[in-house]
Amino acid sequence: MDRAARLFISKSSIATMEMQITNQEVQRKISMQFWSLGESNILLRIRSPKEDAGTAILKVGNKIWYYLPKANRTVQIRASMMTTSWMGSNFTLDDLVKQSRLTDDYAITGTFEGRRDGVAVSEYTLTPKPKAAVVWGTITLEVRQSDHLPVRQRYYDEDGKLIRELTFSEYKTVSGRPVPMRLVMQTMNKSGTKAVAETTITYEKIIFDKPISKDIFSLKNLKQ
Amino acid sequence: MITRLLRLAWRNLWRNPRRTMIAMTAIGFGYTMLLFVACLMAGLRQQMIESGTGLLLSDVEVQAPGYYPDRPTHLTLGGRDGTDVNALVAAIAADPRVQAASPRVYGYGLISGTHQSVGAQLLGVVPDQEQKITVLQTRIVKGSYLTRRMPKGVVIGDKLATAIGVKVGSEVVLLAPAVDGSTGNDLYTVTGMFHTGLDAMDRNLVLMPLASLQELLRLPPGRIHEIAVKLHHDDITATMTSSSALQVQLSKTLPVRVRGWPELAPELADYVQFNRRVTFILFFIFFLLAVMGIVNTMLMAIAERTRELGMLMAVGMRRVQIVGLIVAEAASLAGASLVLGAALAFPLLWYLQVHGLYLGGDRGAITLGGVAVGPLWHGQQDFTAYTQAAVGLAVTALVSALYPATRAARLRPAEALRKV
Repeated sequence: MDRAARLFISKSSIATMEMQITNQEVQRKISMQFWSLGESNILLRIRSPKEDAGTAILKVGNKIWYYLPKANRTVQIRASMMTTSWMGSNFTLDDLVKQSRLTDDYAITGTFEGRRDGVAVSEYTLTPKPKAAVVWGTITLEVRQSDHLPVRQRYYDEDGKLIRELTFSEYKTVSGRPVPMRLVMQTMNKSGTKAVAETTITYEKIIFDKPISKDIFSLKNLKQ
Repeated sequence: MITRLLRLAWRNLWRNPRRTMIAMTAIGFGYTMLLFVACLMAGLRQQMIESGTGLLLSDVEVQAPGYYPDRPTHLTLGGRDGTDVNALVAAIAADPRVQAASPRVYGYGLISGTHQSVGAQLLGVVPDQEQKITVLQTRIVKGSYLTRRMPKGVVIGDKLATAIGVKVGSEVVLLAPAVDGSTGNDLYTVTGMFHTGLDAMDRNLVLMPLASLQELLRLPPGRIHEIAVKLHHDDITATMTSSSALQVQLSKTLPVRVRGWPELAPELADYVQFNRRVTFILFFIFFLLAVMGIVNTMLMAIAERTRELGMLMAVGMRRVQIVGLIVAEAASLAGASLVLGAALAFPLLWYLQVHGLYLGGDRGAITLGGVAVGPLWHGQQDFTAYTQAAVGLAVTALVSALYPATRAARLRPAEALRKV
């Protein structure tokens, strides 16, 4: 379980990824670059499309800054901004630059062992710890028994209604570790029965454990 | 016959001037108080409607179907293609019930000052037109309202300004999800701050020129969210009638949903109804007291005049005429009291309307039913209520005279004559 949570966290990582957003209103593709050092230093920079190019997000410790190229200003963001849709996608900023680890806020119980869609999986159900300030009622996580990689993550509200579903696929071994290269987040309709919008994140390139200078994660570099 | 009866009744009333005067003063003063309360209550209703609709809401809002209450940015009037905004505004303003109409664009975003950033509601308006709809320009406490010379100027609530640490002249960054999915961001200058007394507005609202907000949200000029309308008459009935008429009229050319303020602010409409009911209950209590007064006066008058009434019956006055006489006396008493009460009330009501009642409290307005009510409480003439009170009082007088009158009619002349 903990391994799944720490999927993309390593000593360091550099990635190029593409986000494809599809919903009733918008169809767009965002390409961005991602740097991380440990768990607390993250830099995310948008490269295209033109309207958003240059926008960058920096996380150091638990503070988050936004760089806005048009206004040429850096803005510090509050935690409440983290849990709303980011860039019109089905991901929140919190999903992208994980503020907290699931294991800190949720209690975990194994709820299923067996084969689903021909793959041997274990399902865990996460319920919020009494005092945890979280948005979800429960989360279920399915991992492959063979390598403990995540397959599917479902987010429910307090009434047990499915709100969104994250699916992992295209597993590859990169820098000696297996990772899913494709993440699809679907948001369900009001009754929780059908997906109404989805966003796909595809990793084009990812490198782990390459030494990165800490200077990258500075406000000065954010503006670059 | 009736005139003679009334003349007789009037003369009888003044056979005991002191008692009649006391009764008249009691009922008349009661009527004055009733008018006073009705006037204040109507004033409160009017002030609540005005401050509830005059700051942000407006009397009637014309939007695309499904836009309210979630206000998604993409749901503009006329859909993706937008509409001819000027033509639509002109079509609405052409309605004789409409006083003014003004286009608006809404957005949600983040406003960031020197240190802090907080979530804000963004409202884009055409300054010249908007001032005919809402009175926010009168609530500016620092700096000035939006002008055409400052396309990148914003006016924000005083509490919002404190929260993000900015002053008039400071630069702020606005960050808002645009309609195409990108994140609109730009730099603006605070030109003014307002204070309305409504926390939700003072803490959240950012007012800016319509075109600037359209640019931030990447909406072309033809795409707006709403047309705010001010009516000549904005009580509940008039508003609902006007909004239905506009709905029918505008639907011929464009899919729209027209909502009147009672629909947009049901809690305010509830309050107005509640206020009317309270006024009515006060009327009712007063009528009950008036019944006591009149019954008492008339019973006394009959007891005193038992001999006289016996005599009248003995010389041939019929029982119906006796009843008529007593009722006529009560009616004259009530009529004279009403005139006296109205005469007393006239300067009072005039004062209330013109000068208002100062409620004290230097902290400014209080919030009632979700709207701010100023420290000065103005009355409003409510002639319907005045008439209702007068008619109610007259009916009360006649009804309460029936009991003493029937008692008088049941007197036996022979016994009555022997009474001292």
